[in-house]
Amino acid sequence: MSASRIALWVLAAVLLTFLTAPIVVIMITSFNATPYMEFPPRSLSLRWYANFFSSPQWYDTALLSLRVAVMTMIAATVFGTAAAIGIVRGSFRGRRALEAFFVSPMVVPIVVIALGFYFLFTGYQLLDTPLALFLGHTVIATPLVIVMVRAALQTTNPAMEFAARSLGANFWRALWHVTLPSIKAAMGSAAAFAFLISFDDVVIAIFVAGPDSTTLPKRMWETIRFEIDPTLTAISSLLTLVAVVVLVAVQSLRRIGAADRME
Amino acid sequence: MIKTARFWHSREGALVLPALVFYLLVYVYPLSRIAEWSFFAPDFTLKFYREVLAEPTYFKALGNTLEISVLVTLFCLLLGYPLAYLMTTTSTRARRVITVLILIPFWTSVLVRTFAWLVILGRNGLVNRLLVEVGLVGEPQKLLFNMFGVQVGMVQVLLPFMVFPLYGVMSRIDLNVMRVARSLGAPPHKVFVHVFLPLSLPGVAAGCILVFLLAIGFYVTPALLGGPGQITLATMIDMMITTFLNFGFAATLGIVLLVVVGGIFALVSALLGLNRIVGGGSA
Repeated sequence: MSASRIALWVLAAVLLTFLTAPIVVIMITSFNATPYMEFPPRSLSLRWYANFFSSPQWYDTALLSLRVAVMTMIAATVFGTAAAIGIVRGSFRGRRALEAFFVSPMVVPIVVIALGFYFLFTGYQLLDTPLALFLGHTVIATPLVIVMVRAALQTTNPAMEFAARSLGANFWRALWHVTLPSIKAAMGSAAAFAFLISFDDVVIAIFVAGPDSTTLPKRMWETIRFEIDPTLTAISSLLTLVAVVVLVAVQSLRRIGAADRME
Repeated sequence: MIKTARFWHSREGALVLPALVFYLLVYVYPLSRIAEWSFFAPDFTLKFYREVLAEPTYFKALGNTLEISVLVTLFCLLLGYPLAYLMTTTSTRARRVITVLILIPFWTSVLVRTFAWLVILGRNGLVNRLLVEVGLVGEPQKLLFNMFGVQVGMVQVLLPFMVFPLYGVMSRIDLNVMRVARSLGAPPHKVFVHVFLPLSLPGVAAGCILVFLLAIGFYVTPALLGGPGQITLATMIDMMITTFLNFGFAATLGIVLLVVVGGIFALVSALLGLNRIVGGGSA
């Protein structure tokens, strides 16, 4: 191996350590027996996890986050999948522009989107409700669904749908029995990511959530700003675990998707 | 046959309608409310914009935002380019390991990672203890609530947004071209500079634009890891709403932020095509 090659690997090792360090350190720190967040911990315990699961002020916020994330996942997947099919299979003017519009929430600063929600929901007395969070999260989760489902659709063969139609299936039957099964893996992955986007959101929650609709990230945010509570390390590990579970699910779905295309 | 296809196509096109209606109500309409708040109080006025231009504090925030974003983009490029190059030229198995190690933190909550830096870079944190023990510094350094903390936090979050588009472009470069150049007698560094580097430039452009756009609107990390010198437009908007209840200014700063981002995005999608920019993030 040449010297430049070795230098490249050393740099890569440093960078990958840098990228993973925050979650590795926080996970190990979460097992501290003392409230000083030592790293490495001198004595181990599960007290911060016990603290999280036994205090309603944490646990209830997690349940609300879960409810909002599941609703967001469903809505974003339905809206996003329908829009992606329309964009890829439809033939109308301005499809490219419409697609750019649909994907644009990905690059509009989330603070600006959240500010818009603040003004919108104040006007309708929806501030500090789970409904406001659900609507807001659906806006930021739908673009990713569109991007992922669109990519999957482009690898499928539209001739199958024409065949189903010419054999007498109506529009909805062809959609349900031919189009959707061919992209179900991508829809599953997109749904998983939509869940995660909602579950992890803090910026929209900062603007539209209040005492009656505090999500887990919002409660974390408030706690970090005022005092550093070691329970945060346990919650951080759990949130990392959720992300890993989602990634593993997406990875297995990708394998299913590849198998579907082989058939 | 053609008639059937056309009918089919128009039905398919109608599937965009639910999302379109939803976007208009819950995305476009709220954004228009921001514009309304910035121009009306309650009659039409330009006073918010005039004050933003006249007040050094707001100008400073815009300057901070751009300074932070340019630096983050630069660091991400300098660090991300070699990593993407390594991913392109290494074995499939090594690339898979690297990708997983990038993806797990990438999908972990930004708030979690930012909180982790508060623990790691704190006065008695891991980094300071290591620095003191090794003897590099006599006493713990201030690594948080300044530009250093913000850069560490933001580069950690945004580096994958540089690496994925870079890798996307690099992986399509035909490595045989480089082998040919080598066999014709060009030394490795010349092959890299004259063959690989120019072919990878679309990835550099896409990665830099994506990182820069995301950095401009970044909120959580500058708010938690930055100090008074790192107040950005995003953190100022939140302050205007939650602390000062000054909706007109919040709205005006939001429009300024939107115009900066929208301008760059429009310019770039016209120059490079949209797919290059948005394709990478979902990798």
